[in-house]
Amino acid sequence: MTGRGREGSAGGPRNGRRGIDSPGVDARAVPIGRRLGLTLAVASLLGVLAFGWPLLVGEGAVLSDATSAPLVLGLVVAAALAVLGVGFGDGGIDVKAIAVLGLLTAIGAILRPLAAGTGGIETVFVLIVLGARVFGPGFGFLLGTTTLLASALLTGGVGPWLPFQMLGAGWVGLGAGLLPRRARGVGELAMLAGYGALAALGFGVLLNLSFWPFLLGTATEISFVAGDPVAENVRRFVLYSLTTSLPWDLGRLITTAAGIAVAGYAVLATLRRAARRAAFGPPAEPVPPRLTTAGAPPPTGPADR
Amino acid sequence: MAVIEGPVARAEATPARGRGLHPLAWWAWAAGIAVAITRTQNPLVIALLLAAVVLVVTVCRDESPWARAFGAYLILGLVVVAVRVAFYVVVGLPDSSPVLIDLPTVPLPDWVDSLTLLGPVHTAGLLGAIYAGLRLAALIITFGAANALANPKRALRSVPASLHHLSTAVVIAVTVTPQLFTAVGRVRRAQRLRGLDARGPRAFAGRLIPVLQDALDRSLDLAASMDSRGYARGTTPGGGRHVTAALVVALVAGVLGTYALLDGAAPAWLGAVGLGVGAVVAVAASVRAGRRVDRTRYRPDPWGLRENLVAGCGIVAATAVVLGGWLDPGTLSAGLTPPTWPTLNVAGVVAALAAIAPATIGGGRR
Amino acid sequence: MIEFRDVSVDYGNGPVLRGVDAVIGEGELCLVVGPTGSGKSSLLGAAGARVPHFSGGRLTGTVLVDGRDTREHLPRDLADVVGVVGQDPLASFVTDTVAEELAFAMEQLALAPTLMRRRVEEVLDLLGLAALRDRPLGDLSGGQQQRVAIGAVLTAQPRILVLDEPTSALDPAAAEDVLAALTRLVHDAGITVLLAEHRLERVVQFADAVISLTADGVATSGDPATVLAGSAVAPPVVELGRLAGWDPLPLSVRDARRTAGPLRERVLAGSSAAAGGPGSEGTTAEPGSFRSASAGRSAGRSAARSAADEPGTPTLTADGLHVRHGRAHAVRGVDLALAAGEVVALMGRNGAGKSSLLWALSGAGPRSAGTVRTAAGADPADQRPAVARRQVALVPQSPTDLLYLATVSAECAAADSQADAEPGSTARILGSITPGIDPGRHPRDLSEGQRLALAVAVQLAAAPAVLLLDEPTRGLDYPAKAELVAALAGLRRQGRTVLVASHDVEFVAQLADRVLLLADGEVVTDAPARDFLLDSPVFAPQVAKILAPAPVLTVADVRRALDAGAEPESAP
Repeated sequence: MTGRGREGSAGGPRNGRRGIDSPGVDARAVPIGRRLGLTLAVASLLGVLAFGWPLLVGEGAVLSDATSAPLVLGLVVAAALAVLGVGFGDGGIDVKAIAVLGLLTAIGAILRPLAAGTGGIETVFVLIVLGARVFGPGFGFLLGTTTLLASALLTGGVGPWLPFQMLGAGWVGLGAGLLPRRARGVGELAMLAGYGALAALGFGVLLNLSFWPFLLGTATEISFVAGDPVAENVRRFVLYSLTTSLPWDLGRLITTAAGIAVAGYAVLATLRRAARRAAFGPPAEPVPPRLTTAGAPPPTGPADR
Repeated sequence: MAVIEGPVARAEATPARGRGLHPLAWWAWAAGIAVAITRTQNPLVIALLLAAVVLVVTVCRDESPWARAFGAYLILGLVVVAVRVAFYVVVGLPDSSPVLIDLPTVPLPDWVDSLTLLGPVHTAGLLGAIYAGLRLAALIITFGAANALANPKRALRSVPASLHHLSTAVVIAVTVTPQLFTAVGRVRRAQRLRGLDARGPRAFAGRLIPVLQDALDRSLDLAASMDSRGYARGTTPGGGRHVTAALVVALVAGVLGTYALLDGAAPAWLGAVGLGVGAVVAVAASVRAGRRVDRTRYRPDPWGLRENLVAGCGIVAATAVVLGGWLDPGTLSAGLTPPTWPTLNVAGVVAALAAIAPATIGGGRR
Repeated sequence: MIEFRDVSVDYGNGPVLRGVDAVIGEGELCLVVGPTGSGKSSLLGAAGARVPHFSGGRLTGTVLVDGRDTREHLPRDLADVVGVVGQDPLASFVTDTVAEELAFAMEQLALAPTLMRRRVEEVLDLLGLAALRDRPLGDLSGGQQQRVAIGAVLTAQPRILVLDEPTSALDPAAAEDVLAALTRLVHDAGITVLLAEHRLERVVQFADAVISLTADGVATSGDPATVLAGSAVAPPVVELGRLAGWDPLPLSVRDARRTAGPLRERVLAGSSAAAGGPGSEGTTAEPGSFRSASAGRSAGRSAARSAADEPGTPTLTADGLHVRHGRAHAVRGVDLALAAGEVVALMGRNGAGKSSLLWALSGAGPRSAGTVRTAAGADPADQRPAVARRQVALVPQSPTDLLYLATVSAECAAADSQADAEPGSTARILGSITPGIDPGRHPRDLSEGQRLALAVAVQLAAAPAVLLLDEPTRGLDYPAKAELVAALAGLRRQGRTVLVASHDVEFVAQLADRVLLLADGEVVTDAPARDFLLDSPVFAPQVAKILAPAPVLTVADVRRALDAGAEPESAP
């Protein structure tokens, strides 16, 4: 690193590197244009159907079978994720965003097994929320999906639940990236911790919902009944959640919020330093004015998409 | 560095190239069995399929970490059966079959109306819970089998070109993760040197930060290296208007199809058609987007006779069960009221034999 | 092949390079030298179009690479012309196995599969990697990894290789390995190489041209001997040549030895004059004698001993130390005793058990048998880490692992409170090792030498009697090494014990009193540094090789010997 450390840290004013309070450094490493936004919206709608199917399914519908529905819907969600992946990748992604995504995904993948097994402790959302905060909503969505995918691949956890988990974590990242950009300091951490808590709970509830009939079958009093009024099914679902996954959901909620509160400042500072060094985004290149002295080369940049 | 590395360093073994089956062959086999399991409720057939899957994994798996995770799937399967039975006993619905054990009913406060805890346990209900649990466990274990047998890193090499960029990120992650594991251990030891021996979240965070910093610094080096080696050179910049439009169409078709599947009033064919149209459009868009990524592959995993055979076994298993059920619906389930021993027909035997055949074909043990 | 025309680079904090003009010809090996922070990386980055396209910043002037203007070409468009290799090979790998990594660049260039197969095989042979083809990259040694990184750019068949300190993250054996591969590429494959490297003594003899940068980014380029004569950074052989006034300046031990006849006589005369001199036999070393370095060492040591309560009591002893990692038996029955005010070098090849021994001595690493005792008779492994480090402190191989806060000042403050030291002591120690580090900077933005200084300061805050350092000179340039030598010599004067594992002979020659040579987990030699280094053809520093049989190790020794040789003539 001799020499590199100093020279490589270009792009930011040398005195502005203290702490995380310097405004305007958060990047949009993977920009979401209008067309990609539309794709994302439709895919999310599909996701809502897939997650909420026990509440939506009508009596006598093709998918009212509790065992095969999550499999079919898992396949549908997986396909939707692949379609989104094509949308994100079409026309290329900034190579720096790919590398940062890969490395953060790896960090997330080591966070999961480190925390798994101890009831409800789930630290991966801390990284997804903070990463999305610094690198923007598009990156956050990708980070959520790739983290869950990579950790499933590494631990052999691929199953019908994986597409649901990927989409859910992607939403968590997307939402974190869309939070108000202004907040900084303690307010920012509080906002992120609060969001993290809600997101972690929501993630748990949604996954629970889509696999409720799968795991419980139809022969109990708190099972879903296809075609029942939504309110009735919701009541049974709440009872089911309370009796089964509540401790885990609460644990996930608490660990996410506490993780963001404890490690948030340092992690944000680290991520922002990286974002500054990477200098994402098309307008971040101050070169062209003097570059064009001889001839007129096209203003190609590292992020020419 | 070499000497003091912890045991985590050797977390994985990468198989030599050219050995073992194409990972997607295993997934096709497992998918076929999963279809077979979902299309029958006959516990005997399911148990046979389950035994076949476990046997194939025992014979064909190697020493990789994902192969070792198979044990966890077996435990998960047991847990699922237990959960099913427990829930049936505690909050099961009564039926007309004979009562096996008459447990006393536990009174609940008024605000949880219409819920009775415990109460009589009926034979049919209990058997049904066990059978359903078994079916679920078999499904989960089948997925575990595919996980254990298919090398995910090689599976990532088979991703279509349109997903090239994102799969690169996942490839990087999967490659780097074991190294980061080692780094966490290294940093923990180093921090002990500094007198930091605390436990708890703060210490955990303190340990994570250096690893995170390392990883991020490294990601920029990596990006620079990829860039200099021509990464994304063959990618036409700027998204294709047609591709995006097709993607949206595919997703909309998917939404409609899914909705039709869930709506009781919709005709049965509508869902299938919607999803089918969506799939076709999506594949077309993916192919078109993939053409914009100009790259080649170094020694792609070959798909040969053995792959065809293993994938074919899955298809045969699925077809046998589906056909068997269609020809003789009685064999699809076991009688619950009164409980009768499930019957095994030819289709079930064929499916189980097909499921077990890869034990002789797919042996990629090194 | 590469042409810089009036190139300046600015990242917004003042120019890093100023008006560089240089031409690197076809098939040349051109060395870029300069102190840390002088813009070496920027110059190399400009040659691969990374500056400004990838790194940001502003580049003025023109860089032509094989006729292509880097303003109009992104780094990826130059992949088939320039191959760029960085410092840390592991950080550049995308895939998992050697062959796949070699093929990565070709996949991006969309080459035909048959061509890829052929080129992978060619490069495997060219770099001697054929046996490693399917191995996971993480399992390779550092030198093998860096060779794979070079191979990974070579498969695109570039005509230029740009390497930014390719050996700074490697131990010397691995560095040797990589540099040998490089010279082979230049000589056999006719590839043009632009190389920044701080281990000048290894490469300068192969260079056809040198670009020397000053701290403010001004470049001089030309013939190696001419440019190095005025360069701020130079290997021992060049410094010796400058001292002796040789012209042309020899760049290799072989050349220097052929010119060194007269100097050798003078040095021999000087050393025998000093040896026969009046003060040489007693313990009081005469100032100015060529032995004053080592004499000063023993003087300092005895002073420290007499200052201690029990003179001669070792500060750290180990008996029958064994370390096993699984099946590997890394340390086999080591006994040692370290005295106060002594600097001991631990040498030996990779995997000889140096790191394992240091970690076991510190009490933080595994130990399967044997005892370790500090001066107080305690075993560091039985104590809490926070207590143990007051007696024995270890600076690990990657010093950044010790650091985890966002600024230098925060690190110093945390170190003070962890060591129960007075507030400000760590910062003071840091200032005494390397003055002038901005306390508001991020530790990761510091240079390698500054970061090491910070890690050493953090460990010294607890005022340990024994400081263990694991391979501290990795990645340090000459000035940073000189600073480290001065800092450790300062510790010796304070009566502390320093045990340093190092491959770096020049560094050991400047510093150590005693050398322990470890082989296969056992101590095979325990000798005074001077005897050991002069005696061994492998471990002799450059100056000793050039001037053998004269008993000198460093340029400073030579200077003293010459002065001593001059004295008797002037005295009568």
